[in-house]
Amino acid sequence: MRSLLNFLERYSNLIIFLILEGIAIYFLSTRNYYHNARAVNSIRWLAYGFEERITNTRNYINLRDINANLAAENTALRNSINRLVRNNTSTFYSVSDTVYQQQYQYTTARLTSNSVNRQKNFFTINKGIRHGITNDMAIIGGGGIAGVVVGCSENFSVAMSLLNLDFRVSARIKSNGYFGSLSWDGRDYRTTILSDIPQHVTVNIGDTIETTGYSAIFPEGVTIGTVTGFEKPGSDFYIIYVQLVTDFRKLQFVDVVANKRKTELIELEEKIE
Amino acid sequence: MINSVIRYTVIFILLVLLQILLFNNIQFSGYVNPYVYIMFILLLPVEIPSWLLLILAFFTGMTIDIFSGTPGMHSSASVLAAFIRPSVLRSNSPRDGFEPGAQPSMLAYGFRWFLIYATLVVLVHHTALFYLEVFRLADFFRTLLRVLLSSVFTVTFVLIIEYYRKGR
Repeated sequence: MRSLLNFLERYSNLIIFLILEGIAIYFLSTRNYYHNARAVNSIRWLAYGFEERITNTRNYINLRDINANLAAENTALRNSINRLVRNNTSTFYSVSDTVYQQQYQYTTARLTSNSVNRQKNFFTINKGIRHGITNDMAIIGGGGIAGVVVGCSENFSVAMSLLNLDFRVSARIKSNGYFGSLSWDGRDYRTTILSDIPQHVTVNIGDTIETTGYSAIFPEGVTIGTVTGFEKPGSDFYIIYVQLVTDFRKLQFVDVVANKRKTELIELEEKIE
Repeated sequence: MINSVIRYTVIFILLVLLQILLFNNIQFSGYVNPYVYIMFILLLPVEIPSWLLLILAFFTGMTIDIFSGTPGMHSSASVLAAFIRPSVLRSNSPRDGFEPGAQPSMLAYGFRWFLIYATLVVLVHHTALFYLEVFRLADFFRTLLRVLLSSVFTVTFVLIIEYYRKGR
């Protein structure tokens, strides 16, 4: 008994150290984004107040840029409406076809916090369960893809940024349709890497890279970026450097995309397996 | 006693605010992320009981974790830094030992001593932090470069803050 007490006294610091490290590593290894979002919610009166203030100031300073982007987007949308309207006038009849329901639903959200300088970046948006956000919804912003929702609380959601070493998205070269896997290597916040494109495919600098829609998260054909360079390493596949269209440092407003047929798709795929 | 508790609380709040509001928003490049809040652990009195030091470090790391959304990362690195701090102080002690009630400050033990002490603790903290962040051994040397560059910046900022604190 005495030797046990002696032991405890002697190594008390080591024991406290190990206990505290254990708690920390436990938090680290569970990486529970849901709890993370809950924490954001519960300490909102403090942390969120600061973030909100910083974001508000930043938004105000960048109003000129935001307006310019909105104007550009309006023009693009107006052009596409024009194209569609012209197509439709040549038809004689109109059918309300239930097959062509809207598949993707968009809702706007604002970033309340963001980072680009870590290896595993996340950002928080100001919409949550109450606004119909659920896990695995796609986030599009700044003209390209931005991330995926990984945790929701009542009013907020945490999203894994494209600038995260754990982020993977299926992407293809727009001109020839060959697809591969796009991920970030943690170096430059403007550049990502597209891999798994076989070397017999012709890749040109300036080619557009877009999403494939194979994952049931991102809609098909959303721009990701342009090719700025490529390497041919020893293997059979290219390493293609893709410059993102989304500037994550300027990201303030994003669209959250809900895929209304996701359950159907996943159920079907599971049935086949 | 009460006086020093209040003083360290103020230092704690100032350093955490500085970290969250300023240094977390600084983005030089992907390689430089100064974590100046570690200075709180550096400044605690020499004679503080180790268990209290460990718990305070855990609490500090936890606070930063909550604000930057990285559960466990900073807590873990800070606790490690606090764990090695007594050994760093012992191996780096002045010739006639520390006086009772001494504080590890630049004013008391000089620039060179403080530089060595701060660099050692910051290096341990940053090494743990950056490798925990990546959590893989691929890109080992790139992470090492991030550790070194960030440590240089953190130590520089700590020295600047310590220099101005000296006047008071």
